[in-house]
Amino acid sequence: MTETFVIRAAERGFDRLTAKDNPTYVSGHPDGFITRHSSFNFHEYQSGRAGFGHIRVFGDEVFTGAGTGYSMHPHHNFIICAFVLDGRLTHLNTLGHIDELGRDDFYAFSAGSGGQHCEVNIRADNMNAIYLWMVPDALYHQPGYQLGHFDRATQGNRLVQLIGPEPGAIPIPQQIRVSRLITDQAGIFEYHPASPAHGVYTFVVEGEAACEDLVLRRRDSAGITGAETIRIETGAGPADLLLVETAM
Amino acid sequence: MPSDPLLRWLCLGCGFSYDEALGLPEHGIPPGTRWRDIPEDWACPDCGTPKHAFEMVQLPYASEAEASGLVP
Repeated sequence: MTETFVIRAAERGFDRLTAKDNPTYVSGHPDGFITRHSSFNFHEYQSGRAGFGHIRVFGDEVFTGAGTGYSMHPHHNFIICAFVLDGRLTHLNTLGHIDELGRDDFYAFSAGSGGQHCEVNIRADNMNAIYLWMVPDALYHQPGYQLGHFDRATQGNRLVQLIGPEPGAIPIPQQIRVSRLITDQAGIFEYHPASPAHGVYTFVVEGEAACEDLVLRRRDSAGITGAETIRIETGAGPADLLLVETAM
Repeated sequence: MPSDPLLRWLCLGCGFSYDEALGLPEHGIPPGTRWRDIPEDWACPDCGTPKHAFEMVQLPYASEAEASGLVP
């Protein structure tokens, strides 16, 4: 039996963070700010669902104002991914990387036994990214970090695994697979979870799509558990979807 | 004498973990201290997240998981 939930764009939790109010956590000019629309819940910090499978955070964040971001801060254990949708994200971490990610770039940072990172928009234009936090399969893994890129020219109009065990995807220490589907034509796509016991969270970044029989518009999302196949139908206009499959 | 298993807790703000078996001697919490015995106003030493925003997790350490073959 399948179970389904839907989170409409406007139903997500919302938070606005500023350097003025959070000077140790948020970097940048006091007039800069971060907006965070959250599908899942960080206990008292945000509203909404507590999580889905191993997912604890699915945040749609915008960094506004040059210098705005998160100052260097520590993590353990969580696997943190950012998928840059717009603008540029400068990312420094204690694994020795300094990267500037642009549209369709993403990273996976497995904090494991400990690491620190800093994420800043050093440009005048806004930076928009999806942040995904996941509980790993064990504590204190050796920390890991990898960059990836979704290539619209060659990877459009099909489901492409970004995070997971497939060749070309970034492996992480958890039963989670993140895939992206960007289309510019009508199509029907079938997503097959590794197990029907897994849950699949589908988020519409841009455009609209039907997920099973649910019509999802921009920034709407749905979680489906217990399905052998998830059927996604896109229209003639452009659509951009992220799918996160997680063991439950 | 039977006793409840010692548990592990994860800070949802940053991923810091508290292990009842290990305590946090460097923060004045001796090994074996139960989560329930830590004051309610205690906060994550790394990020300041309050105690109630920790989640109990049933996770092995990576070293234990590798030893048991759970993680390839």
